Amino acid sequence: MYGGGNTFEKLQGTDLQQEDPQQLAEFEARIQRGEKIEPSDWMPQLYRKQLIRMIEQHGHSEIIGALPEGTWITRAPGFKRKLSLMAKVQDEVGHAQLLYAAAETLGKPREQMISDLVNGKSKYSNIFNYPAFTWADACTISWLVDAGAIVNQLANSRGSYGPYCRALERICAEESFHLKYGHHAVTYLATGTAKQREMMQAALNRWWGPLMHFFGPPDKMSVHSETLMRWKVKMASNDDMRQQFLDMYVPKIYELGLSIPDPKLKKNEESGKWEYTEPDWDEFKRVINGDGPCNKERLAVRRTAEERGKWVREALKASARKYVAPLA
Amino acid sequence: MSEEFIKSLDPRVSRMQMPADINEQPLQKEELDQLVTYQVFMQKKEGKNFEHAGIVHAPTQELALLYAKEQYSRRFTCSGMAVAETSAVLASPVTDGGLSVYELLEGPAPETDGPAEAYEVFHLMKRGKQHEHAGSVEAATVEEAFLKAKESLTPEKPVLNIWLVRRSDLLTIDEEDKDIWQTLPEKGYRDAVAYKASDRLKEFKEKN
Ligand SMILES: [Fe+2]
Ligand SMILES: [Fe+2]
Ligand SMILES: [Fe+2]
Repeated sequence: MYGGGNTFEKLQGTDLQQEDPQQLAEFEARIQRGEKIEPSDWMPQLYRKQLIRMIEQHGHSEIIGALPEGTWITRAPGFKRKLSLMAKVQDEVGHAQLLYAAAETLGKPREQMISDLVNGKSKYSNIFNYPAFTWADACTISWLVDAGAIVNQLANSRGSYGPYCRALERICAEESFHLKYGHHAVTYLATGTAKQREMMQAALNRWWGPLMHFFGPPDKMSVHSETLMRWKVKMASNDDMRQQFLDMYVPKIYELGLSIPDPKLKKNEESGKWEYTEPDWDEFKRVINGDGPCNKERLAVRRTAEERGKWVREALKASARKYVAPLA
Repeated sequence: MSEEFIKSLDPRVSRMQMPADINEQPLQKEELDQLVTYQVFMQKKEGKNFEHAGIVHAPTQELALLYAKEQYSRRFTCSGMAVAETSAVLASPVTDGGLSVYELLEGPAPETDGPAEAYEVFHLMKRGKQHEHAGSVEAATVEEAFLKAKESLTPEKPVLNIWLVRRSDLLTIDEEDKDIWQTLPEKGYRDAVAYKASDRLKEFKEKN
């Protein structure tokens, strides 16, 4: 799973002026024709850097996203739910592996990506810095956070970089299970006993804010993001994805007899757009910069796994091998 | 002296006793700490060609095959897998503009008298798609293998990229162990179709 709102800020030393104009023109023409870029193709520095950053962030989000749900496996109600949730969490970790592999084709080794994650140098989806208090929170993640991720991933799967598209094709196929499983679990709570309904509503109330943050701050189209859209790196604007999410899921939430904790939320029939209370972007900034309820724990868990598993990797490591980046 | 540990909602996370300042010192993983990569080729159904599925990081080829099964055959049918270390994959350049990469190869193959080896040949027919097994050739050198592939395997459509892998560099599951792929009945819970909430929802709506 994955949130938008990944940062596409100005990167240093990636001026388009420094690129060979002929190669740049050929590269852009290829993307215009709808062809994919493969790892051995010429590509502008800016394209490479932004893709590494985006795919890597996506990979980290899958790994960190597995943590809040993963803690609920042993406490999931009944064998069937345990089995399903375990399968889902396994998928998410698998997604991270696919994504790290795609980023590796661009020249960044997996070791460096993991180091950058635990050192707080690269980001992951902000929503996973919030805790899953109850089983209903875990179900909300499975359904609605994954729903948001799917909106994002489907957009990205039409992007221009071959290895990322191939990874996303696999990922999207698995996400359809996550979505159905999540909806199933939420439905059983929402249509259950009064206590279950109450628990479900409370969880939805907690997650609505982070879900509105999920696609990132409102669009401010810069020259920079136009370039990334032309190169099919960024495929849809944050606001467009948020609108799409609301369009698809608000009716499904209402259908379950649940309410959404935003009195302003309604669809403007004239413009066809959803109107809502602007989420707290100061909170978003604060949390993404490290000061959220779970940031510390998430990175600590990941780092502990790194440190305490090191002896196993050491024991397995064969000598005299050399690193070769994946080819596709 | 009592050390401070991170407290979590999840008691098992608290029991990990992670020092509160654990991330204050930067961590730098060493090269190859994540092991080397293996390319995974997968046959989705009996009779279909093997296709490139992706990679796994693994310490040995045997474990690579095991991880590949876990990573790439969790759903749907799979009837075969093969893995080769990435460094064992010999790749041609990538062409475009309708030019087949085979047109870049000038034959005939030089005469060599070394012992011939079997090579598996994979073709990429379209950017963004997977490399697919196209056949195999016997050759004494890599150069010869590319040229032999040109002679015997050139399809009508342009081939954008060729991968050659020596058969001896590929590890696969023995014919007599093929029943390990009969996993479809036991993985139904991993599929979306196993989760139908519509009846429950309908009943709920009728009552309310
Ligand atoms: Fe998911
Ligand atoms: Fe997810
Ligand atoms: Fe995922």
